[in-house]
Amino acid sequence: MTDTFADAGRSHPKTPVDWWRWGGRVFLLLLLIFTVLPMAWMVLTSIKSQFAAMQYPPQWWPAEPTLENYYKLLDPTNSVGQEFLRYFWNSLYVSIATTILGVVIAVPAAYAFSRFRFPGRAFLFFSVLVRNMFPAVVFLMPLFLMMRWLGLVGSHGSLILTYLTFGLPLSIWLLKGFYDNIPIQLEQAARIDGATRFQAFCMIVLPLSTPGIIATSIFSFIGAWNEYVYAVTFLNNKDMLTLPVGIQRYFTEFATDWPGLMAATFLMSVPVVVLFLVLQKYFVRALTEGAVKH
Amino acid sequence: MSPVSIATEQAVLAPERPLKRVGLLQRVVDHRADYLYVLPALIVMLIVIAYPIYYTIELSLFKTPPNLQMKDKIFVGLDNYVAILTSESFHDVTINTLIWTVFSTGFAFLLGLGAALALHREFAGRGMLRALLLIPYVVSAVAASYVWKWLYHSDFGVIGALSVQFGFTDKPINFLDNLHTALPSLIVVNVWREFSFAMIMLMAGLQTVPEQLLRAAQVDGANAWQRFWHVTFPHLKGVSMVTLLLLMVANFNSFIIPWVMTGGGPAGASDIWITQIYQLAFGRQRWGLASAYAVILFIVLMTLGYFYVKALTRGDEARA
Repeated sequence: MTDTFADAGRSHPKTPVDWWRWGGRVFLLLLLIFTVLPMAWMVLTSIKSQFAAMQYPPQWWPAEPTLENYYKLLDPTNSVGQEFLRYFWNSLYVSIATTILGVVIAVPAAYAFSRFRFPGRAFLFFSVLVRNMFPAVVFLMPLFLMMRWLGLVGSHGSLILTYLTFGLPLSIWLLKGFYDNIPIQLEQAARIDGATRFQAFCMIVLPLSTPGIIATSIFSFIGAWNEYVYAVTFLNNKDMLTLPVGIQRYFTEFATDWPGLMAATFLMSVPVVVLFLVLQKYFVRALTEGAVKH
Repeated sequence: MSPVSIATEQAVLAPERPLKRVGLLQRVVDHRADYLYVLPALIVMLIVIAYPIYYTIELSLFKTPPNLQMKDKIFVGLDNYVAILTSESFHDVTINTLIWTVFSTGFAFLLGLGAALALHREFAGRGMLRALLLIPYVVSAVAASYVWKWLYHSDFGVIGALSVQFGFTDKPINFLDNLHTALPSLIVVNVWREFSFAMIMLMAGLQTVPEQLLRAAQVDGANAWQRFWHVTFPHLKGVSMVTLLLLMVANFNSFIIPWVMTGGGPAGASDIWITQIYQLAFGRQRWGLASAYAVILFIVLMTLGYFYVKALTRGDEARA
């Protein structure tokens, strides 16, 4: 905060040491170490052999780095790799399906919440917000019975449907924020030119809200990719597992293979981290949307 | 959005709206086309959200059979609630839940606030730093749990080894298997994952602080702390409120870290409400009891939710 006044400070002949700025730098450095060390240790462990990893005191730097753990996981010809790649594919399938379904349903709803003033709007939107308050665990029991009734227990369909419990309200909430920021005058102009309300929505608003839809999709995808509670409860067939549940199996079966587990954890994190880094701007915007009024 | 544009919006988007006040039914009929937009979302929400909430409340009044054939359930009134509130473990688990929620929220918020303030001004590498700090928030809690489990490992864990290296302890500590260190160790993991969420929210909040006010304060001779306390902080109140509430709700609801890392152990030392509910429902098949527990959690969360919506919709009336 002091730093905004760099110019003002410089105009004084004697500027005292800026303790606030230095304090901030030291704090950031410590925070960076706290953040990065666990990730670094994960990567360092994943390139060790099992023997090298299980030593005390630890090998701080791998003496003989090896990519063997990664080869094993990504090789479809051995059983470990076969399983891992299957889980990876399952996760991808479920996450993409959830994202598409959620966004397609959320787009018109969010638009209506943003633009129309129909009776019950406030109440319905309030219900959307309130859903974010409830943990997955309390929805588990009724949804489990519902899936059993529908005969979906153990299928990916059960996950895609239940992931809407968090994906849909979140998508509606995020998209409404984006629609609120699109000037209404554009639609009015289209209406005056003879477009129907629905045409104005499809031809003017939808293209303009592409960034919002991208941001919402990333959020939805990451949420589904990382989901654990429903997956661990509904999936019972080992061929159907998604990654978060799948690597748990891997962990208990080979209880001591920490380097292998770290490699699997690393590979599991790659898609979301890459998505996040590439589309960071949208991600940050989606996260803070609504909470901060500009 | 200004009041003027709202007026024109309604004139254009709902031209059929009559000028005089009409009854609710008439208004619903007038807006019937609006409902088509929300209908798919509404149907899905009724099925996967409203019905489960209703059913959880219903189940909480019944004794359920262990084979989960719900047609055999027996009505027991509020017995499940009494059983939970008077059970021996409820007190300890509630204390754990409060410790977990309050400390996770508090530390995540403070670290986030510090980071947001330190990152507020431009410097080389700022964007990269922000991205790096956000990564723990993006990766799955399952991945984080395994990585930290390995860091805390009783024999080969790097944290234990480091603390010996630096002379803090004589031999590695068994963090996750110790009654006193299990819950704090989990809180560290949780804070590691969450603080950057607070950081991002507060960074966005800082952008709303008017520069002129800070300059004026500077000219008037306010020091850095005074400028923060009297100018910056009041502008952050709204976003801080939302951030704290969201963190609190997330922490009340967090299941993965305690479940994957300790399963609530050792001897219940890291058991919180959520892990208890899951254990009751899917470990011991006591769904009536688990539902009652869930309803108790509902009530707490609804209270928080009330304040959340209030904090969020502040100023929304002026817009809507």
